[in-house]
Amino acid sequence: MTDNFTYHSRKNVFYVILGIVFIVFFVRLIQLQFLYSEKYGKMSAENAIRNVAVAPLRGYMYDRNGILVVDNRPAYNVTVTPVEFENKNLELLTEILKMEKEEVLERIEKGKKYNRFSPVKIKRDVDFQTLSFVEEYSGQLKGIEYQFEPKRYYPTKAHGSHLVGYIKEITESQLQKLGDFYRQGDIIGASGLEAGYEKYLRGKKGFELITVDAEGKIIGNFNDGKSDIQPVEGDDLELTLDIKVQALAESLLSDKRGAVVAIDPTDGGIIALVSKPDFNPELLSGVTPFSVWQQLNTDPAKPLFNRATLTKYPPGSTFKMLLALAALQEGIIDENWRVNCRGSFTFGNKVFKDMHVHGSTNVVEAIQRSCNVFFYQLMLKTGLPTWTKYGKQFGFGAPTGIDILEENSGLLPSEEYYNRRYGKGRWTQGYLVSLGIGQGELGVSPLQLAAYAMALANEGKYYKPHVVDKIKEKESKKIIKVEPVMRQINLKNEVWNAVREGLYRAVNVAGGTGAAARVPGINVAGKTGTAQNPHGKDHAWFIGFAPYENPKIAICVLVENVGYGGVFAAPIAGLCIEQFLYGEIIRNKLNQPKIILTKTEAEQIRD
Amino acid sequence: MQNWFSENINLGILISTLLLVLIGLGSIYSATYDAGASDFFNRQLIWAGIGLVAMLIVMFIPFRTLQLISYPLYIFSILLLIGVLIFGKTVAGSKSWFGFGSFGLQPSEFVKVTCVLALATYLSDKKINLSRFKNLLVAVSIVLIPIALIIRQPDVGTAIIYVLMLIPVLYWAGASLTLMLIIISPAAAAVAALFGITPFLIVLGTLLITFFVLKENKLISAIIFSITVLVGVSVQFIYGKLAPYQQKRIDTFLNPEADPLGSGYNVIQSKVAIGSGGVFGKGFLEGSQTQLNFIPAQWTDFIYCVPAEEFGFVGSILILILFAYILFRSINVASTAKSRFASLVTMGVVSIFSAHILINIGMVMGIMPVIGVPLPLLSYGGSFLLSSMLMVGLLLNMYINRKEY
Ligand SMILES: [Zn+2]
Repeated sequence: MTDNFTYHSRKNVFYVILGIVFIVFFVRLIQLQFLYSEKYGKMSAENAIRNVAVAPLRGYMYDRNGILVVDNRPAYNVTVTPVEFENKNLELLTEILKMEKEEVLERIEKGKKYNRFSPVKIKRDVDFQTLSFVEEYSGQLKGIEYQFEPKRYYPTKAHGSHLVGYIKEITESQLQKLGDFYRQGDIIGASGLEAGYEKYLRGKKGFELITVDAEGKIIGNFNDGKSDIQPVEGDDLELTLDIKVQALAESLLSDKRGAVVAIDPTDGGIIALVSKPDFNPELLSGVTPFSVWQQLNTDPAKPLFNRATLTKYPPGSTFKMLLALAALQEGIIDENWRVNCRGSFTFGNKVFKDMHVHGSTNVVEAIQRSCNVFFYQLMLKTGLPTWTKYGKQFGFGAPTGIDILEENSGLLPSEEYYNRRYGKGRWTQGYLVSLGIGQGELGVSPLQLAAYAMALANEGKYYKPHVVDKIKEKESKKIIKVEPVMRQINLKNEVWNAVREGLYRAVNVAGGTGAAARVPGINVAGKTGTAQNPHGKDHAWFIGFAPYENPKIAICVLVENVGYGGVFAAPIAGLCIEQFLYGEIIRNKLNQPKIILTKTEAEQIRD
Repeated sequence: MQNWFSENINLGILISTLLLVLIGLGSIYSATYDAGASDFFNRQLIWAGIGLVAMLIVMFIPFRTLQLISYPLYIFSILLLIGVLIFGKTVAGSKSWFGFGSFGLQPSEFVKVTCVLALATYLSDKKINLSRFKNLLVAVSIVLIPIALIIRQPDVGTAIIYVLMLIPVLYWAGASLTLMLIIISPAAAAVAALFGITPFLIVLGTLLITFFVLKENKLISAIIFSITVLVGVSVQFIYGKLAPYQQKRIDTFLNPEADPLGSGYNVIQSKVAIGSGGVFGKGFLEGSQTQLNFIPAQWTDFIYCVPAEEFGFVGSILILILFAYILFRSINVASTAKSRFASLVTMGVVSIFSAHILINIGMVMGIMPVIGVPLPLLSYGGSFLLSSMLMVGLLLNMYINRKEY
């Protein structure tokens, strides 16, 4: 009984509170649907308020010296608001925009699906003449407007196409996958840093509520713009790149096919990453004309292909140091172990060639002069498992983890690989001989070789290669430092010393194959290589680092289909090292003898 | 038979419920109409069928059995809630779903039902006295455990619903006004302090007047008052210490019109939808705001604008009347029920429904902040429709058993 008694008094509290709620709702309905119904009816009929996205500025990119590498420039897009578009204007519009009717209609149709009242981009980055036509016919072309959208601009001489990457309009499938942030017609990073750091670079869209009249003409911003959201600029990237080295390397490879990768051995930062032939990223910064795409995709030189990270060629003699390190570290040989080179090596019934008759050779001399016979024998002595183990330690056969997304693992063969490929017991030691000199079933990328040169330079500190050093967040004003990731390859000091000495001598002592990489006033160490190419002329390799005493740059150069590495790749490496360490090319200003090899010297170089 | 039926079946609530479900289906049909019925409509139709069967089953579960299984059910549902945090899939930034093929289940919706049952079972025990701290703590914990789990998903809207269920049920169970003041006033002060100094002072003033009217004990009054002041001041202090973007998030929450991309734009468009409906509406499938998809995902939280635009004031008020009928009629049942359990379960369901209606319709009309909470029986969403119909099933069950002790 007592319960019911209290319930009765408490019931009234609920009646009153709920009563008030429903009365407030009732009054609000009267207000909206009786008093203001005309106003809202008009707004609804005219669709008086539009929600228009405002494109943010994409983040800027700076090189290691603070030089602006990727910039933004104003550009204008022509847009159509689907609901207002009148089909009778199609003819005129296609004429002004110089587009196909089908393409215009397709774009309007796609935009309709999202929101018939939101302007959809029909053509990006129109020229001034088109813009003035749109302005001139604005009375006639209902629902057709133009809209500001920044465009990528590259202020330096370098392209950096494969490193920086390019942006493009988002595809239908990306739209479905990436959901909320993007709308049809939005720009998204498609390759390189633009893709790898899309999340940071894109910024945050702004939104404007625009009030329009019954004619669809813009009156102004709703609520005096107080309801608008300002766009937030994308985060800036500070790169480890040296844009001047990048530009130089690009120019040195300008009429060739090949790649240059230079790394800072103190932290793994990429100094330059060039793949040639390349493309002008400005052509791809938005809607790319179909003709340009077609040309890029069908060009037999494959300008879109990133040779620096995707190529899989045998590394040639640049791989000899790996075998030397493995054999020395495992105690299979010591520095005094000698081979008498007679210019060729016979194993079974097969003859393996050398370029010269080197005579009695130890490991340091074998690296200096690139003696093949020494390494044929050493490979048989060392065996495949040990060689593979060390190859893995130096990052071969696996992606390096660089932050520009696309790279190739390459191929580092192992016993397992041969068993799989030829069947267990159906391959012989003879298969391995050429691995000793970096030929045969072996594939590496210039990036992997550059990282290997880095580890030789800094005695085993294998940093993960990366291009971004710092991210400057715009909204929080924080600067995020990308901490270098390092893996130590532990070898004995004397092992490092022997191999490094070989590399020094290969460049600086007579009889070395890398003389063309010399730089005035700086000790360069390095190794040439030539990848045998069954389809044409051989590919030229060079890897090296400098200064020898305290390395600040490690480099790998690949020039395809030209011949010996010592002749074609080493000089490019020397110039890049010079540019990086001096900040300019000084060799022509000096009064000392020029480092140009004599004809006989050049003919001596056969690797 | 005729007699049994009119004696035991609360026909008014049953019919109102079915009408609301039908209006909801029609609204979803219209909002997602695209040259025919959409997947949304077809799915909701299936769920409505499942819901109807579930409602009838719950309605006839023996009264004692309900009491007996309420604790095991509660524990089971809490385990589900933990499971969803670990194994669930993320939809719209919130990890609250179990996916089975194309159908998803949201455990937090069903915990509403089990939580009401558990709380009612606990509070209906004759030995429980809310003025004893230990008993109060247990009662509050029954609700706080799911809240703590749901906030982690994170789903603030649903968490708020649980709070708005707990307070009325405690009051109904006999908590003193003093106790209610201790619970409500710091919370009110915290929210008011975020709006500014004036709303905060108004809360404090109201509190003082309440003390005066209730002739409350001076010492207790002083303690409650100081706690309230302290909470309000520290909320403002913490707000001042927050990073600008965090402050902005709170501002947007309190004043959505400043955020046209998200909720603000939706509210402006939803007001236009309701207002342009006028007295008689634009007609089924004729609402331009609805048909042109001005309001993203209108079929979930903004479903009320669909009938408001297409059937005008007539449609809008009909929905309000049906909801009001269910709520007032149920409060009446709760106040006359012989069993304390029946009374408390009924009030739990009434509170949950009221909270949903208050927040949702208030938001759609532009008089409440935007909190993502759906409208019972109308909004798209299988789990929510099913749990709403289960709760109506409870209301009908309690009606049948209103004379039991
Ligand atoms: Zn030799």
